[in-house]
Amino acid sequence: MSLDAPTPAAKRSTLNARVEKIFDHASDTRSLFLSLTSGKHLRFVAGQFISITIPLVDETRSRPYSIASDPENRGPFEICFNRVEGGRGVQWLFERHVGDTLDFSGPFGTFTIDQAPETELGFIAEGTAIAPIRPMLKRALASSSTQKIHLIYAAPDREHILYAADLDALERSAPNFSFETLIAPADKIYDRLFETAQARWVDADTDRTRHFYICGVGKGVIRLRDVLRGAGYERRSVHYEQW
Amino acid sequence: MARLRIQFENGDPEKVIEFDPGKAPFHHDGKPGSILDVMLGHGIHLEHACGGNCACTTCHVIVKQGFNKLGETSEQEEDLLDRAPGLTPTSRLGCQAVIDDPNAEIVVVVPRYTINQVSEAAEE
Repeated sequence: MSLDAPTPAAKRSTLNARVEKIFDHASDTRSLFLSLTSGKHLRFVAGQFISITIPLVDETRSRPYSIASDPENRGPFEICFNRVEGGRGVQWLFERHVGDTLDFSGPFGTFTIDQAPETELGFIAEGTAIAPIRPMLKRALASSSTQKIHLIYAAPDREHILYAADLDALERSAPNFSFETLIAPADKIYDRLFETAQARWVDADTDRTRHFYICGVGKGVIRLRDVLRGAGYERRSVHYEQW
Repeated sequence: MARLRIQFENGDPEKVIEFDPGKAPFHHDGKPGSILDVMLGHGIHLEHACGGNCACTTCHVIVKQGFNKLGETSEQEEDLLDRAPGLTPTSRLGCQAVIDDPNAEIVVVVPRYTINQVSEAAEE
């Protein structure tokens, strides 16, 4: 699919999906596996999100959820989310059951990998922001078996390192892939990510050809962007999505 | 009172909103006082697939008048605009472009096309 292909913006049409499976990663973190009720397959690019229609009592909202599964997977696609204080949309999602249906539009977003750049790649994620990174990582690994690819993944505890077994398996099967986990209190996560990224990709050498993909919540993402760009990496080599 | 005039490239009728920027926010998506916030708060739809979080380009608007009356463009907004189809020198993201001048006269065009708008092409 071309990201540049224009389509009319005037009216948003929605697709309808059924909840096929629910998986709880932790008490506050859940995945829904969705399939289109049309029986067709959702076409998307690794890293994109869908915008789910949330019918609340007093209004209808649309809220974005990254797709955590691979575009090549012909089965249900997966979204992953966690409870947030005052998050009415996510509360509604937590109340869905297997067999329920929901409306969404999309896929959307330009924080994607279709064909990975032919350079060393660095991925940085925290918590549920691993959702878009996971298919992007797999896409990058499918693009090259030689370029070095490293993931730094942070969470407040081991329980919230999602897809750990999946990442372990990837590391075993792909010699060019490595990952490290950082466990830190929630208010220190970005400090740790910042220190680790700086040590690995700024202070360690003068190579500035790498590309980066950063996904997370809040201003820490911007801080990571700035340390990499400030160190001499090209603006367009530092890709990020801040929620 | 500030005035926001909205023209739609798809031919929908023009809309005009008069509002007091000091009363922002008008809705809950986008920066308070942003073009998106003002439009939604006055019952006019503007696509914002990411919820107005500056993570997509579906609220792309082209500013025809009053560009310099809008709040500054952040690096994050610039990064996203780079990916917007039909980018112009006066393009902004509706969720980020804040109108805080009470005398501002802003005219924007909502482009016909946005990136990755949903269509049947999303199914295969």
